[in-house]
Amino acid sequence: MAEASVRVVVVDDHSIFRSGLKADLDASIDVVGEAHDVESALAVVVETAPDVVLLDVHLPGLAVPAGSTGGAEVIRRAAPELPATRFLALSVSDKAEDVVGVIRAGARGYITKGSSGGEVSRAVHAVATGDAVFSPKLAGFVLDAFGAAVGETAVAGDELDRLSAREQEVMRLIARGYAYKEVAAELFISVKTVETHVSAVLRKLQLSSRHELTAWATARRLL
Amino acid sequence: MSTAPAAGDDRVVPRLARPRDCVATGVAAGLAEHLGWPVALVRLGFALTSLVGGAGLLLYLWLWALTPWQPGEQAPKRRAPVAWILLAAAAVPLGLAAVSGGPPTGGPAWFWPALAGVGLIVAASAWAGFLDRPDADRGPRHEFAVRIVATVALALVAVVIVFGPAASEAPRPAFAVALAAVAGIALVYAPTLVTRFRELSEERTRRIREEQRSEIAAHLHDSVLQTLALIQNRAGATSEVARIARAQERELREWLFAGDAVPDRDLGAELREVAAVLEIEYPVSVDVVVVGEQRERASGELAAASREAMLNAARHAGGEVSVYVEGRPDAVEVFVRDRGEGFSLEDVPADRLGVRQSIVGRMRRAGGEAEVGPGVGGVGTQVRLRMPAAAPGEGGTRG
Repeated sequence: MAEASVRVVVVDDHSIFRSGLKADLDASIDVVGEAHDVESALAVVVETAPDVVLLDVHLPGLAVPAGSTGGAEVIRRAAPELPATRFLALSVSDKAEDVVGVIRAGARGYITKGSSGGEVSRAVHAVATGDAVFSPKLAGFVLDAFGAAVGETAVAGDELDRLSAREQEVMRLIARGYAYKEVAAELFISVKTVETHVSAVLRKLQLSSRHELTAWATARRLL
Repeated sequence: MSTAPAAGDDRVVPRLARPRDCVATGVAAGLAEHLGWPVALVRLGFALTSLVGGAGLLLYLWLWALTPWQPGEQAPKRRAPVAWILLAAAAVPLGLAAVSGGPPTGGPAWFWPALAGVGLIVAASAWAGFLDRPDADRGPRHEFAVRIVATVALALVAVVIVFGPAASEAPRPAFAVALAAVAGIALVYAPTLVTRFRELSEERTRRIREEQRSEIAAHLHDSVLQTLALIQNRAGATSEVARIARAQERELREWLFAGDAVPDRDLGAELREVAAVLEIEYPVSVDVVVVGEQRERASGELAAASREAMLNAARHAGGEVSVYVEGRPDAVEVFVRDRGEGFSLEDVPADRLGVRQSIVGRMRRAGGEAEVGPGVGGVGTQVRLRMPAAAPGEGGTRG
């Protein structure tokens, strides 16, 4: 890939996972720091100001409030100081509520730890350029949580609690395992437009007050 | 106690066992059958020998304790209301004690009869609690009634002793009997207390086990699952090692989260299971995403067609397979998508005719529809299955 080098900090409490991930990432990704818990993550992230933080959902830390996760806590505290830094959540396909918690704290996407180095690298590049990264499972969750499966559709463009018809189509295709490029080809729209829709959905996921978002996640352990 | 025929007798001696349908304990009936005597004679024998220093009574108790029930399934049925008989019997020594309230000559005459009465009452409630309880014809209501009567009777005994003339005439024996009566009340409720205690300790054991399990789960989550994930992404998605790691991860996660909900056999659960099996057997990684309400049964035609499509994808394409299930109010849709060579129905090789038959034909017969075509951008194959909610025949709605 001819993309510019992306500066990344890897935060995970397992050193074996960090070193494995570092070895697997593309050459275009420059790991500038590592951290193993909430406190060290905050220190390293603030010091190095990376483009992307690869963040484990579950992190040990002294000041993680109940009901939250270490990953969400890092985002909540570091994001205000570093508006240019994006966060990408990594997880061993955890409980949906935790993943949604990290997204709502401000992560730009979520991928499972089972993803290959190439997939993680692509996701890092996507997040670095401001795009959102959705796994099929996260897309499935979004469809469910916003009531798309039972036919709820937003009528106004700025509605936060429901998805527009187009957004639903995009999410359905992602849930079916389509890459953004394939979604674009299927819907006869540009990749850029797909990215816009995904970002809009991410924004709704972060801002919506729909109570089903958390209730649903708790009731079903999808991820 | 042998089943061999007795010498010079063609009668087979039955094994000594108590019949399940009995008067009180089945000892007399069982013994009579074993010896070949009339039951009445056995009973009379017990009664007469009891007069000789209680020998018959001891023998009866000994046989009762050691003789097994006749083999069978149903709970023993006792025809005689033994608990009530014992309660009634308690009235005799108690009445005796009441009338023999004369001046003490070497100890009060009422002492032993009163004690015997208390003992009989306790025996009655123990009988009701332990022996009559499993009998469906008597059950808890009978036990409750016996207990109430026993409690009232014991309380009366205690009150009469303490406030009657006996307390001043012979304080020590009176105290002993009153104590026995109060202790008797406690014993009346002992069966319940024992049961409660057992339940309580079982509950505690379960809680401890649950705590341990979640501790183990947390630990495994932090260590083993992470390692399995690492193995998968280092080994490449379709390698043997990664497949084994993925299968293990799935199994482990299922075990970790098993305590939360009984897995419902709906379409989504079924397809997830199919995916797990395919991943072990073929070099493939199957991602199953389920959205919406799951009304479709795991045994329906849609599930069968989906399984077939997934098997095809795993067998002929391999690599990454995506399965998407969406349950909408009007229909259930399943998409199975692979990234293999791809094929079209027109030039299906002979060995893949199964697709036409088992997927397309099956769905049509069941009132649904199926499309098999190339994946988006010409990569791989995509199978789309759709089953309307009110489909006739198989694959209908549930609940």
